[in-house]
Amino acid sequence: MEKGDRGSALKKIRVEVLNMVRAAGEGHVPSAFSVIEILYALYSRMGERDRFFLSKGHASTALYATLAHFGALNERELQTYGKYNSALGGHPHRNEKKGIMNSSGSLGHGFPVAAGYALSLRLKRGGGRVFCLVGDGECNEGTIWETALLASHLKLRELVCVVDNNGSQTRAVPSGDLAEKFRSFGWNAVEVKNGHRVNDLENAIFAERGDDERPYCVVAHTKKGKGVREMEENHFAWHHRAPTPEEYERFVKEIMGSPEEA
Amino acid sequence: MRKQFAKTLLETGADERVAVLLGDLGHFLLRDFEARYPSRFFNMGIAEQSMMSMAAGLALGGFFPVVHSITPFITERCFEQIKDDLCYQNTGVNIVSVGSAFDYAALGCTHHSYDDIGILRTLPRMQIVYPAAPHEFDILFKEAYANGAPTYFRLPEHIHSLSTHPKFGEVEQMREGNVVTVIAAGPQLQNAWEAAEEAARAGVLCDLWYVTTIKPLSAASEKAIAASVAKTGKVVTVEEHSVIGGIGDLIALICGGERFTHVRLGVNDKFLECYGTYEEHCKANGLTKENILKAIHDSAGRNR
Repeated sequence: MEKGDRGSALKKIRVEVLNMVRAAGEGHVPSAFSVIEILYALYSRMGERDRFFLSKGHASTALYATLAHFGALNERELQTYGKYNSALGGHPHRNEKKGIMNSSGSLGHGFPVAAGYALSLRLKRGGGRVFCLVGDGECNEGTIWETALLASHLKLRELVCVVDNNGSQTRAVPSGDLAEKFRSFGWNAVEVKNGHRVNDLENAIFAERGDDERPYCVVAHTKKGKGVREMEENHFAWHHRAPTPEEYERFVKEIMGSPEEA
Repeated sequence: MRKQFAKTLLETGADERVAVLLGDLGHFLLRDFEARYPSRFFNMGIAEQSMMSMAAGLALGGFFPVVHSITPFITERCFEQIKDDLCYQNTGVNIVSVGSAFDYAALGCTHHSYDDIGILRTLPRMQIVYPAAPHEFDILFKEAYANGAPTYFRLPEHIHSLSTHPKFGEVEQMREGNVVTVIAAGPQLQNAWEAAEEAARAGVLCDLWYVTTIKPLSAASEKAIAASVAKTGKVVTVEEHSVIGGIGDLIALICGGERFTHVRLGVNDKFLECYGTYEEHCKANGLTKENILKAIHDSAGRNR
C-alpha cells in the first residue's frame, strides 16, 4: 500500500467503494479494488483536454469514489449510488458534466467508443488524449481486437489503453500475454508489474513517447479485491456481492490498518 | 439510390461535422467524397461492431458520422452497439444501408434483411427513415442527419417512379378514398399505387398512404392514419419486410382500440431460402400489383 497522504487517499477511496456497495446492497467490489491505483494515477496526471473512458463499467464505484476524491462528485452524490433516480449506478451512465464520458457495462463497448473519441480529437486538431481502462476478462471480446487493429491502422497515438490485468479470466479463458498481443496488433505496449504502485503507473502511462505514431497500451498487473485479503483470496465468490455489516466493519479495519508498503 | 447517396453525401460534406465510415463496402461509390474530404473518410474494414461504436465516439466528440455497409451487417450484427452506444447514449450517428429485404436475393439469407426495421423500432430514440426514390433520400437525409439522434436510412435497390413530397416525421397521402386504407412503404408504393388505381376503376376507392419515416411519426401523421382507418375499417399494409415488426405492426400500434380488418403483405415470418431474383421474391411473397389488388377487393368485401 502507498504511504503518506496518497496512501490515506487510496484507503479512503476503497472505503467509499465499500460504503456505496454496503448501502445499495450490490456492486462489484473486487473489480473496483483492482483499479483504484490506476484511476488515481490517471486523474492525478490527466490534462485539461484529456478524457477518460471506463470500458469495464462494473468498476463504476471505483470511478465514482475517485471522481469524488478529485472533486468532480460530492459525498452526497455518492450516497445516492444505486438508488432510484440516482445519476450513479452499478454501471456508469454518461454524464460529461460530472466527468463520466460514456455509459458502459456491456463489455467491449467503451474501448471502441474511446477510440472514436480519440479520432474526433485528431480531426479537431485541438490536442488532448483519450485514456481507456479495459479488463483482462473484457479482452475476451472480439471488439477489443477489432479496435486494436483499427487504432493501429489509423495511427491513433492519441489513444492510451490501460489493461487492468487482474486475473479475472484464470478460470475461464485466460488472455495470455496481453502486452505481446497488443504489440502484435501494432501497438506500443509496456507492462507495470505491480499495478497498485501509483508512481510506477504514472511513469508508464504518461511516459514520453516522442513521435511514435502507434497507439499505446499499458498492461497493469493487479489483484482483484486488492486491499481485503478475503476478497483477494476468493474474488470469484466476491465478484458481485455486498458485505454484511460484520464483514464491512472487518474490511474497513483491514483497509485502514493496512501496512503502508506494497 | 446509391448515386444519390454519393451525391447527397458529397454535398453535406461541406458540413465539417460530417465524417464517413465504411465497412469496406461502397468505397468506389463514395470516391468523390474521399477525394474532397480525405481526412473525414475512413474505410474501417470488416469490423462493423467496432465501426459502429467508434462512430458513437466520433459523435460524442461533436461529429455527425455516416456509417455505411450492407443492411444485415450494420443493423442485425451490431444491434447491441446500436442499442448501447447510439440509442442509450443518444449519439447522432447516421446509419445508411443498402441491400435490405431481399435486394440481394441470389446471395441467400445471410445477405437478406427483412427484420432490420422491426428490431430497430424497439430501440428508444432510434429514428428510421425509408426513402424509395432518389429525391426522397436527398430531402430526408438533409433534414435529419444533424438532428443529434441516431438515424437509420434504409436505401432499397429498387425505386418507385411516383411524384412524392416527403417530410421527415410525416406520412404522405397519395390517394383519397373511403373503402380501404392502403399503407405502403418502400418501392412497393409503385404496386400499391397501380393496384389502387385499378381498384378505383372498379369503383373501390382507396385511401393510399406512403410512409417514409417509420419512426418518429408526428402526432398529426398518427392522427391522420388513425382517422383513415376509423373511416374505412379496412387496412392493407405493403412492405418489403417481415410482417412482424414492420409498418403493419406500426399501424396496429397507432390504431390500437379501433376495430379494423388488416391484411399484411410482406415476408411471412420465414427465411427466403430460394435464391433467384428480386422480382421472383416479390411474386412469391405477394408483393405484386395483382396481389395487392386482390387484397383490396377481399378487404372491401369484408365487414370490419
